[in-house]
Amino acid sequence: MTEITIQGRGGQGGVTLAKLIATAYFLQEKHVQAFGVYAAERSGAPVQAYVRIDDQEIINHNAIQSPDHLIVLDRTLVSPVLTGGLKEAGWIVLNTSETPGGVGSAFAGRNVATIDATRIALANGLGTRAVPIVNTTIFGAVARVLGLSFEQVEGTLRSLKFVGANVEACRAAFEDVQTAHLSGHATSAVPPKAGGRAAGLFDETVGERPRILTGTWANRQPQRQSLTPPCNHVCPAGNDVRGFIHAAGKHNDDEALRTLLRTSPFPSVCGRVCPAPCMEACNRQYFDSAINVRELERHVGDHGRRPPPTKPFRAERVAIIGSGPAGLSAAFTLAKLGYQVTVLESQDELGGLLRTGIPSYRLPRDVLDREIQYILDHGVRAECGQRVDRERLLTLSREFDAVFVATGLQELQSLNLHGQPGVVVQGIEFLDRVRRGLERLEGMHVVVVGGGNTAVDAARSARRIGAAEVRIVYRRTRKEMPAIQEEIAEAIDEGIGLDELVAPLRVRWDGVGPLLTCQRMRLGEPDESGRRRPIPDEGEDAQFDLRCDRVILALGQSADISILPEGSEIHEGTDLLGLTSAPVFACGDFASNDGTVAAAIGGGRRSGWHVHRTLTGEDLFPPPEAPLAGPDAVITHLFSHRPRSEGDTLPASLRRRSFVEVRRGFAAGTERLAASEAKRCFSCGVCNECDRCVDHCPEGIMVRNGDGCGYHFDENYCKGCGVCAAECPRGVIFMAEL
Amino acid sequence: MGRELVTGNHAAGHALAAAGEANRFARGCCGGAYPITPQTEIIELLRGFTFTKGRIVPVESEHSAMGACIGASLNGARAFTASSSNGLAYMAENVFAAGYYRLPIVMIAVNRTLGPPWNIWVDQGDSLMLRDAPWMQFYTGSHQDLVDTILLAFRVAEDARILLPAMVAMDGFVTSHTQMGVNLPEQALVDRFLPPCSIPHRLNTAHPTTIGGLTWPKETERHRRDIEDAMQRVPDVWREAADEFSSVFGRRPDGPIVAEGAEDADVVLVACNTMVQTARRAIQKRREAGQRIGLVKLKMFRPFPRELLRRTLGRVPRIGVLDRNHSPGSGGIFAQELAASLQGRSDCLLQDYIVGIGGGDVTPEVIDEILDDLLRRKTAEAPVWKEVAA
Repeated sequence: MTEITIQGRGGQGGVTLAKLIATAYFLQEKHVQAFGVYAAERSGAPVQAYVRIDDQEIINHNAIQSPDHLIVLDRTLVSPVLTGGLKEAGWIVLNTSETPGGVGSAFAGRNVATIDATRIALANGLGTRAVPIVNTTIFGAVARVLGLSFEQVEGTLRSLKFVGANVEACRAAFEDVQTAHLSGHATSAVPPKAGGRAAGLFDETVGERPRILTGTWANRQPQRQSLTPPCNHVCPAGNDVRGFIHAAGKHNDDEALRTLLRTSPFPSVCGRVCPAPCMEACNRQYFDSAINVRELERHVGDHGRRPPPTKPFRAERVAIIGSGPAGLSAAFTLAKLGYQVTVLESQDELGGLLRTGIPSYRLPRDVLDREIQYILDHGVRAECGQRVDRERLLTLSREFDAVFVATGLQELQSLNLHGQPGVVVQGIEFLDRVRRGLERLEGMHVVVVGGGNTAVDAARSARRIGAAEVRIVYRRTRKEMPAIQEEIAEAIDEGIGLDELVAPLRVRWDGVGPLLTCQRMRLGEPDESGRRRPIPDEGEDAQFDLRCDRVILALGQSADISILPEGSEIHEGTDLLGLTSAPVFACGDFASNDGTVAAAIGGGRRSGWHVHRTLTGEDLFPPPEAPLAGPDAVITHLFSHRPRSEGDTLPASLRRRSFVEVRRGFAAGTERLAASEAKRCFSCGVCNECDRCVDHCPEGIMVRNGDGCGYHFDENYCKGCGVCAAECPRGVIFMAEL
Repeated sequence: MGRELVTGNHAAGHALAAAGEANRFARGCCGGAYPITPQTEIIELLRGFTFTKGRIVPVESEHSAMGACIGASLNGARAFTASSSNGLAYMAENVFAAGYYRLPIVMIAVNRTLGPPWNIWVDQGDSLMLRDAPWMQFYTGSHQDLVDTILLAFRVAEDARILLPAMVAMDGFVTSHTQMGVNLPEQALVDRFLPPCSIPHRLNTAHPTTIGGLTWPKETERHRRDIEDAMQRVPDVWREAADEFSSVFGRRPDGPIVAEGAEDADVVLVACNTMVQTARRAIQKRREAGQRIGLVKLKMFRPFPRELLRRTLGRVPRIGVLDRNHSPGSGGIFAQELAASLQGRSDCLLQDYIVGIGGGDVTPEVIDEILDDLLRRKTAEAPVWKEVAA
């Protein structure tokens, strides 16, 4: 009987090699037996396989102790133990790039054959670099030293359906194998077995980590990555949306607020007026419904404690023209960096459009005042009633180390409706007059033209100051209106009419009063903004009249660039004047015309960083964003469905004649509601220390470092099974090849 | 199919598939499938087999795997499954039900140590846990013995005089994962050997009946006696089936027990599964040296072949039993059963050796040590624990 032992690592194909050798002799009508030792069914673990070949029936089934030949698939397995019991006349076939003479004293006095099977296997695309599959390759070398012909080898491969690369690799090894008889005396003493009794269930040593460092078998290990959650990705203000929600979920509103204040001075404002693109991007919408981010931001802004403000400590002075969200965001950013900031505002109060353009039933004055005051508390000087023209800008650029132009969109889009003055007014101006108590519309018919937030605000304000009938006319459909959809719904609840697919033509007078002639529209092909272009409808009823005492235009605004020298190009973060005395920057809507408070906040902060970089060389811009955590990053079946918590709303009957705030936030005294809503967050792509990796690690070697400090694992025992990566609900853990 | 080099699992899978396919002109076949190491390859092979009439039903547990077999068999299909270790423990309730329903289901038990502590290697504790179930049990050694026994098990189980399920055991890994040459049966021959499966009490809407409803002690006594009577008929039915097998396949299958040199022996070892073959190697040398040592392979465990063993071992003065199993508080199960069969013999020294528990490698050297002990001892004692893995 010939007995062969194969020493390899899990995944290399040792058991299949045993079958190949057995088959070669089986096809010659020999009696054969091939078997493996099955235990650690893990890639990389040392495994043995055995072959018996005999002319008579093979009856014993025990493992082979004294093999005739030894095949070693992995050079790192070579040790004196390996040759224990090996018969002297047989072959040692070794997978190595060395020559037989170079394999060292372990094989003195032996017949040694070497073959670089790993190289040949990889060259033929068999397996991976971490686990090359060398079985068919080394079979060529084994067959050669055992005296088989290549025809027999080919027949064996064919009978086991190995073709192509396997045959080529096998042929290369058959031809390349090097053999030698090494000088010296062979030692084949069987090393003594470990003595003593095995551990019982109650021995203290039971359950101890194995003495074998099983981590050395690994060909991959878990690593952690942070992806970009979609809410963070889309937030125009650049808020760490996921981060503040995570803190809120731990009932830590103070920490949540600190997170928001890192990027925005206006959490309470945004928590009321932001269109919340984060909620539109939220991955949870594909599971049940998006996280109520806006309401959470409001809750945190209203209930979190603001940290004590810092004071300026730098000599550099910065002037900011305009106190809208962009200007104040820039002021806040620079003040926190220690700059001496002066804000120049043409109106008599700070806040820009936040104050003049957003009605108080959406944004109460005390809320705005509180957040502006916190900015001023950082040592920001404010000068109101300061209109800055081109001349003044040049003066400022000499007096200050940097100047911002954050004047927003002062130029209002108009439409010639041939109306008399006083009948047709601008929405922004109307809202400001309402705020100052200068408007009365008692019993009037009002038509608002436009589909943005200003249009809806103007309509709802008109209703509140007594208009008998208010209609919004919009040339596309409700779906295309840029206004916040909830606001549109609330307006309709308050009894405001909405005429979709209608465009105003002209105001005329019929003896009773003014009439607005309108044109019915339909939607045609998409324009460059991707929205379908409205085109006039034809036919008899295509034009109609609406009774109107007042027409309010809310058609959008653009930047008034008269402040700048002619030919200036406006880009966020560029020096507008190219002056050496002081850089002048544009920021907010004035620079980018994004049209949202959140975008203005983001623009203001980035402009502040630009200035800081220009003045000090220090770069505060974050590194390029990590890849986006899309819906696929989340294993949603690990979560339970839970409905979204909504804030309270004042009933329509109570709000029609009142400027009391409509949205009331999460009901008073229900901090738990906010925390419970925050806990719905998937935390897409960012570890929130849910401990699932710890719970599921089959080796018990994943360890939590402590709150907020992540995890570590014992590399000595990580076999790279990948359970932690498969169980991570949010795509943070992945397996990296070693 | 001719002679193939395959694992024990694949040999068993081929035999089950051929038996199932052979019923294609009757009511087809059905296998309940749930994987467990080291039996999984059987299930995998069966799932890949395309039956002309029948299917493999993947289920969520061993309990349901046997449930599927019970349902199929009650409808006249040839039903089979396979399991191991804790899977058999979980299946146990339905194992008993299958037998009490008198359904000729065949199950492969790939012997694996029951956990905890977790252990995937062979001992016979799992199938022997079910020794008191109304099932025939056969323990097999070589791959050929395994294949032949599976086919015979179907034949005997479905015989109208028997109608009892049969369990065919093999050693986990040592048989299940070892590649050896074996004659896999040609389908045409299996078709000849296995007549269409006929279950007289199968469910039939033309003759609605209740099966397995509430019975009084009187009916239950009768039911149990019927099962015992059927068990007692098994050796005769087996002999007939084995004769038929020989004429169809041209080879003689192993009998319920296989005795080698036992009649005139001074010492006989009794063993099952692959330990028999390893023991044979050790014994061969001693016989060549003139020692009169015999060997008995115990294949049929249920019904226990009491008569055959009494006849074979009636005059042997020393018997050693190799038990790869352990009934806590009592010892090795084969030794107990054998002692009960030989009751009244005071001249016999019967020593129990518990060996190879948890898959310990039983080498010819271990058998030698056991024989030395057996030849030396003056009296039989409590079971000897032969720890071979240390």
